[in-house]
Amino acid sequence: MILIKLAISSLYNRRASALLTLFTIAISVMLLLSIERVRVDAKSSFSNTISGTDLIVGARTGDIQLLLSSVFRIGHANNGVSWQSYQYIKQQRGVKWTIPLSLGDSHKGQAVLGTSVDYFQHYKFAKKQSLSFSQGQPFRHLNEVVLGAQVAENLGYSLGDSIVISHGMGNTSFHHHDDNPFTVVGILNATGTPVDKTLHIPLAAIEQIHNTNHTSHEHEHEHEHEHEHEHEHEHEHEHEHEHEHEHEQHDDLIGEPKQITAFLIGFDSPLYTLQVRRNINQFKDEALLAIMPGVTLRELWEMLTIVEKILLLFSMVVVLVSLLGMLTTLLASLNQRRRELAILRSVGARPWHLFALISIESLLTTFWGCLVGCGLFYLLMSLAAGYLQSHAGITITIAMLSGYELMLIGAIMAAGFIVGLIPATRAYFYSLSDGMSIKI
Amino acid sequence: MITLTDLVFKWQKQQSNPTLAIAALEIAKGEHVFLHGPSGCGKSTLLSLLAGINRPTSGCLSIFGCELSKLSNSKRDAFRADHIGYIFQNFNLLPYLSPLENVTLGCQFSKQRQKKALVNSMTLNQEAARLLNALGLSEQFHLQNVANLSIGQQQRVAAARAFIGSPELIIADEPTSALDTGNRQAFIKLLFEQAKAANSTLIFVSHDESLQPLFNRNIDLIALQEQLS
Repeated sequence: MILIKLAISSLYNRRASALLTLFTIAISVMLLLSIERVRVDAKSSFSNTISGTDLIVGARTGDIQLLLSSVFRIGHANNGVSWQSYQYIKQQRGVKWTIPLSLGDSHKGQAVLGTSVDYFQHYKFAKKQSLSFSQGQPFRHLNEVVLGAQVAENLGYSLGDSIVISHGMGNTSFHHHDDNPFTVVGILNATGTPVDKTLHIPLAAIEQIHNTNHTSHEHEHEHEHEHEHEHEHEHEHEHEHEHEHEHEQHDDLIGEPKQITAFLIGFDSPLYTLQVRRNINQFKDEALLAIMPGVTLRELWEMLTIVEKILLLFSMVVVLVSLLGMLTTLLASLNQRRRELAILRSVGARPWHLFALISIESLLTTFWGCLVGCGLFYLLMSLAAGYLQSHAGITITIAMLSGYELMLIGAIMAAGFIVGLIPATRAYFYSLSDGMSIKI
Repeated sequence: MITLTDLVFKWQKQQSNPTLAIAALEIAKGEHVFLHGPSGCGKSTLLSLLAGINRPTSGCLSIFGCELSKLSNSKRDAFRADHIGYIFQNFNLLPYLSPLENVTLGCQFSKQRQKKALVNSMTLNQEAARLLNALGLSEQFHLQNVANLSIGQQQRVAAARAFIGSPELIIADEPTSALDTGNRQAFIKLLFEQAKAANSTLIFVSHDESLQPLFNRNIDLIALQEQLS
């Protein structure tokens, strides 16, 4: 008890250097915790990108390549899946739903995805959360578009705006078709996944863009055709109450493209997954590849672990440096404190009291360092959460420290204590050799 | 009663001339002893033996019936905490504690000292305040920063710290060398008063022989050692 009081008073007496030491430890703790938290949250955000989908099917490439192109919109899928194959697999036993995906086009650098209305119903992310609309509704006509949250925010679009979608990737596309505008009919809520950066249009509309792009002849033709379509639509609308027209409209939005980039499958029961996957991978008519998104996401993350490990290593080094800083300060101050130690000896303190005194000091410094570090960590996380969400798609959870994080802090405290044993041992032997007369 | 018989101390076993060699010395309980001698004659060494910091190389050292030369290191530490009050030359207070805290420090490492201190007062702080007042340091200074006290005042705090819990032996290692002549005499008188009140033996070390007449016994360490040879 008296030792703790002495340690606190003594530290307070040397508060300038003690505070500096405390802050180096605090900053290193903050750094370690932040890196850990971002790493863990990046991993979960990453694996939250897609859920509820049992298989992703595309042309035969690598597992990871297919995942990157279909879910993350990274890279190109050189081949697609033929419409016939898609139709065939769609009718397999156990298939509950399929979502065709057609990628490869862009709008101001943001990916354009051609898909069916089922996308808004069956596509799930995180813990099987469905997509939800912050404004508007799914597309119901060929020239309608649904925007991801970030597309709407970054490009400043709102419901009713007309936008032009060009063929190909990138900002500067060779073909711009200002005469083929889409109307924004829906904006999705933010998901923290690539969906936020995607423009969703009907699958048939993709086909339309591609066709109009090829020759001006066709272009005009299509244009007329589109007008006809519009007429038909309006026509249908008039008859909406009399006819069950949803089916027709559905067909209309999907069309009959030659091929699609990939498609997602959901089964009635996950038990079908392995069987169907094998069938697809051995499909005779076309070289196809089916992947289980969860498994491939994990594989992809494994590839990124080297970066993760380097980050962790760096923060460990920072912790080590801060502890060495504490060691330096303690050792440097120890020489000046030999008189103090001698006085304590004279009033009856045993050498182990002095050993304990120095140990308590280092423990107190690390303890407060860790505490302040945690405070700084929460401050940093709450400041950075918005930025990480919008720029990296990482959702930071500002929650209590996890068991692992507490363990890290415990390890730092233990390391601080062990480092403190060095000056404590010196204090022990000083007190034995100096006795009560200080020979300096 | 303190008894030294054929006491020899060497820093190293192979040392040819002993640092300290005393054939016989007896100090009675309650005696006020003036121990003097030039620098390097072994004063500090003798004090470190009496305080139980070092152990004699050979011979016998017993304090109040306790064979200090036969005790282990930790037992000697405990003995010092329980029975010995020590006053240093100067600058001997912990700068981060108040005068009151500095005084009570002596009781924190010994149950026995604490118990004896509480005979006179209700709490340790009261006893510390009583001693400080008796040594001429008034209340207004008791909670001040130690560094703001004068050398004379600091030395009074140090004396109070040695006296708290009435230890049987008070060792004062040149406690007046930083004081001027007038203050010296006054300080020594105060020391005597407290030593009498606590019935403590006082061993006062100094090379200032002008203080000699104030004591009822004085020991010349050089002469004492020569008896042997």
